[in-house]
Amino acid sequence: MFNALRKGFGLTFKSMFRPSSTTEYPDTRRDTAPRFHGRHVLNRWPDGLEKCVGCELCAWACPADAIFVRGEDNTPQARFSPGERYGADYQINYLRCIFCGLCIEACPTRALTMTNEYELSADKREDFIFTKEMLLAPLPEGAKPPPHTDDEVEARGMTYYQGHAAQDPLRHWQADLAAPEEHGDPVTTDLLDDPRPGGGQG
Amino acid sequence: MSDDQITVTIDGTEVQVPEGTLVIRAAERLGITIPRFCDHPLLEPVAACRQCIVEIEGMRKPMTSCSTKATDGMVVKTHLTSDMAAVAQRGQLEFLLINHPLDCPQCDKGGECPLQDQALAHGPPDSRFIDQKRRYEKPIPISPQILLDRERCVLCARCTRFSQEISGDPFIELFERGALEQVAVYEDEPYHSYFSGNVIQICPVGALTSTSYRFKSRPFDLRSTGGVCNQCSAGCNLRVDTRRGGIERQLAADNMAVNEMWNCDKGRFGFPWVSHPERLQQPQARGSLLALEPVSWHGALTTAAEGLQAALDAGGGDAVGVLTGGRLTDEDAYAVSRFARDAVGTDNVDFRLWPRTDDEREVLAAVAGAPGPTYEDVEHADVVVVAGLDPEEEVPILHLRLRKAWRKHGQRIVVVGPTLGTMSEIAWRWVRTDAGDEGRVLTALATGATTGELQDEVAAALGGDGEGAATSVVVLAGERLSRSPGALPSAAMLAQRRDAAFAWVPRRNGARGALDAGLLPGLLPGGRPQSQAGPVADAWDHVPTAPGRDARGILEAAAAGEIKALYLVGVDPVRDFEDPRLARAALEAADTVIVQDLMRTETTAYADVLLPAAAPQERVGSFTTWEGRRQPFPQALPPQRLQQQDWDITRQLARALGADLGWETASDVRAEAAPLMDRRASVAERLAALESEPLPLATAPVPPLEEGELEAVVADLLLAERSTLLAGADDLLATARTPSAVMAPADAERAGVGHGDTVEVRGPGGAVTLPLAVRPHVVEGSVVLPGNALEAPVGTLADPDDPTGRLRVTVAAAPADELEESA
Amino acid sequence: MGLEAKLPNGILLTSVEKFVNWGRAGSMWPATFGLACCAIEMMSTGGSHYDLARFGQEVFRASPRQADLMIVAGRVSQKMAPVVRNLYDQMPEPKWVLSMGVCASSGGMFNNYAIVQGVDHVVPVDMYVPGCPPRPEMLMDGILKLQDKVKSEQFVERPKPGESMEDFRRRTGWIDPDPSVEGVAAAQFAPRSGTRSGRRDTPSGAEPGPSQER
Repeated sequence: MFNALRKGFGLTFKSMFRPSSTTEYPDTRRDTAPRFHGRHVLNRWPDGLEKCVGCELCAWACPADAIFVRGEDNTPQARFSPGERYGADYQINYLRCIFCGLCIEACPTRALTMTNEYELSADKREDFIFTKEMLLAPLPEGAKPPPHTDDEVEARGMTYYQGHAAQDPLRHWQADLAAPEEHGDPVTTDLLDDPRPGGGQG
Repeated sequence: MSDDQITVTIDGTEVQVPEGTLVIRAAERLGITIPRFCDHPLLEPVAACRQCIVEIEGMRKPMTSCSTKATDGMVVKTHLTSDMAAVAQRGQLEFLLINHPLDCPQCDKGGECPLQDQALAHGPPDSRFIDQKRRYEKPIPISPQILLDRERCVLCARCTRFSQEISGDPFIELFERGALEQVAVYEDEPYHSYFSGNVIQICPVGALTSTSYRFKSRPFDLRSTGGVCNQCSAGCNLRVDTRRGGIERQLAADNMAVNEMWNCDKGRFGFPWVSHPERLQQPQARGSLLALEPVSWHGALTTAAEGLQAALDAGGGDAVGVLTGGRLTDEDAYAVSRFARDAVGTDNVDFRLWPRTDDEREVLAAVAGAPGPTYEDVEHADVVVVAGLDPEEEVPILHLRLRKAWRKHGQRIVVVGPTLGTMSEIAWRWVRTDAGDEGRVLTALATGATTGELQDEVAAALGGDGEGAATSVVVLAGERLSRSPGALPSAAMLAQRRDAAFAWVPRRNGARGALDAGLLPGLLPGGRPQSQAGPVADAWDHVPTAPGRDARGILEAAAAGEIKALYLVGVDPVRDFEDPRLARAALEAADTVIVQDLMRTETTAYADVLLPAAAPQERVGSFTTWEGRRQPFPQALPPQRLQQQDWDITRQLARALGADLGWETASDVRAEAAPLMDRRASVAERLAALESEPLPLATAPVPPLEEGELEAVVADLLLAERSTLLAGADDLLATARTPSAVMAPADAERAGVGHGDTVEVRGPGGAVTLPLAVRPHVVEGSVVLPGNALEAPVGTLADPDDPTGRLRVTVAAAPADELEESA
Repeated sequence: MGLEAKLPNGILLTSVEKFVNWGRAGSMWPATFGLACCAIEMMSTGGSHYDLARFGQEVFRASPRQADLMIVAGRVSQKMAPVVRNLYDQMPEPKWVLSMGVCASSGGMFNNYAIVQGVDHVVPVDMYVPGCPPRPEMLMDGILKLQDKVKSEQFVERPKPGESMEDFRRRTGWIDPDPSVEGVAAAQFAPRSGTRSGRRDTPSGAEPGPSQER
């Protein structure tokens, strides 16, 4: 009997001098895997415009129906994203989201990606509805928060979608209404200066 | 198409089809879907997209199945069995995608796009095209409702064929040739068509998109419910798409018996009123400071019942008047009809607020509840007589049917009346009459006592054994005919003498249901006179024996203080009744005004109790088309706030009065109403039965006009800004036709005014200023006024001392100071 | 109820309160039961690598009578809901519920007839932890936040240090939580505040006029 006790307590005693395998969360945080599926972020272009075009493909892909998107029209005076359309309302319900990442795969503009942030607990259900403002990435340094005007964007001379934009990002029908033009000839612009197989994407 | 059946073999399976069937349709019979973009069952084949290529044995080259007619013994191999067809289709799809911009994430069609679907199902995974795509400015608004994106267009010509073949507004066309071919509108003519929304729906790509639905939603967000249009009596079937408790869009649903696959823009885009801020949200009643305050349903109904009871105590049933509008469902109409007769005990009930004479009752009684001619009868008729009706402005889908018949088999359409309206393209003969003289001319056509070559020709076409005599005739009589003395009975007699089908075509969607439910004095459900109540007397506790007052009578009695309480269901007399002065006087004088309506109107300001009603999309019910076809519809979305269904409000009001009408659901109402409202005998049989008691036909000629005077003809427009059910539909209203006075060139010359001038139309009671259109579509001596689109109802022009008499006006150039004001 | 229920009216025990809360937060024993895949992560949280015992959650108790915290780990089916409620009822006061994972919190991707759409339909939830399943750190984060919440609990509601009276009233529901938010709470409290609903014109805080008859 004494032998058994000695054996048992001996193991315990020996373990006291073994290095501990415990991670001292929250004092030390282990790095997650680089592709860990954490909280989403809505990315921006370097000039501050949003990448999201409000196409709702993420909402379509979502198996838990956690995403709500509503698109709206960019106008020459208030431009949020390149092209015709932007996501006016964007909400993710983190009490539904299962962090599967299908939305990320569906996003045609890489607007929606996932961060490694995971500390999301809260005690009210409302706090889990993340709105567009909460999801948007911080503004790049020196960039102006949208909306921009078309003149500002044009002056910047930036190309979007590596120049593969399916359309002139600054053409807008409301501008056409304001200043009616001849609609006869095809517009030839040098937007497609960097052609690659697959034609335009976006 | 002949009835001869031929046998075709498609993919090894034999199928029997009628001769003349297209290969693509024959394949559909076998359940084989050949990919297509340009093909549409209601449009002529054009083989523009080349997507439906199949291999046909014996033909050297692959053929387009949408334009090739099947012949006996033909052997067809589709892409399912023929490599040649499959390769050709794949190549064609790749070819179509060369210039297609692939901006699907931004495109409104994404998710319901045939091109997207087919590219996914059959298309190549990669594009070999590395050059610059065709680029156009995008999108361009071709009308306030429609945006055109030429980059996405695959040149299937569905839209251009629709506007040429179906709607007859060829504003939209293909221009240029080859790679630059593109859809465009004429520069100087905007694309203002009443049917333009259909081109959005039939576009197989996202080239034509809707302004109001732009970027609103995706198909998978939407909950689609069937619906029936609540804008006119055509009864178009709809698909109502809702998201998060609001309507996002309405589309035409297929019903080949009614609207085929089309609807008009009013039905398609005229829904924003459902979520309009002016909607009545909760019951209201006068509070301690005599201002309208929100109250509970119980409180509102109790107050309303107290008001009604006070009137009943003071003067019996005759002290209560009930007016209804044109938006009620059949269930509502029946509920109000029984409420008035059974619970209140009055026959003062009327739904006809339009100007009219008193001689129409027999005809309406014959029409009520009886099956009349259908759309198909109209389409297949040889000759159609149209009187007092402008189908395109009043019942647009009927216009499409007439136009189809005219195009397909040269239907002879005879217009009788002082104006041709918008029928100039499809009318065969126009029998001109003076305004108010339609009755005499119709009688002449019926009896053969015609004068003049034209009338002889028409009379010969209408019947008899002569050459060119019609085998089938349909007479369509519009609401406007009621204004001319004896005209409606004459039209009915014409139909009966010439063995023709007769239809009364009201403008509003609820009018036919209201007529069937007996919402007019002296007539019980099913067009039964009070003396022959029959089953109605069995079903109801109380049936009045003496006919009550009509709409004018009710308002006059209320103004005089004889009627103490008014119950207004879905009607705004200040706007809808021809004489707003009388309506205001009546509303002011009545002790209790109970208004049950959708929106805040001028009348609601006079209300003592406001009862908010649910919109048709927010409830179940059924609407009756002008044919008499009852079409039930389901609920698409919940009521905005505290609104309730009209029949239910009426039922609860009855209960508050102490009468239990005994319904719990809309189906209960329908079950009780159906046997009473529906009659087995057709209109023709019941008209024939009237022969014994001759109809009050028009005999008196129109009194001659004085120098410079013109007879006013009031014709309503489809899109009028004042319309409650168009509130908030700004894009739609932007395409409305300019309301203008229309007169004949000779009259205009005499008055010294010209086309486009602003004129003042002055009657004995007042004047309105509006632009003038000079057109030969109007007989001399008449001027057509856009009734519902004027800033003041036409009745304000009438002589206050003789409001029901003829409306004679003068037209002169507007004084300069008024022009400045309006500018 | 615990100590707070036995407290005489009008007595504030700030230091005792702190001490009691410290004790409650530091020795919160969870009940042992897992409903689905989240329970695997819960077990892992209790293991040596994450060692939940560091936070005083020393032992997972297999009997509800000895547990303070219910970790609802996994989807709650309609059939399981009464059982969960029964367990909760058997736990002694004070007790807390942590809803672990999206299925327990809202039904998650199982928006169907079989799954309770959030365990808060059955028991009151004090902390929600999203994730499918949450990694152990996420659960620990939730537990730490719950401990913070317990530590700041008050026996009698009163303003917290640094909290203005208006914020306090808003927190405790005396006044409209947020005038700009239209919702259940705003509508519920609209009658008490003159202008907040934006429909009436009486000055802020003033009594409604006679015509309104509130």
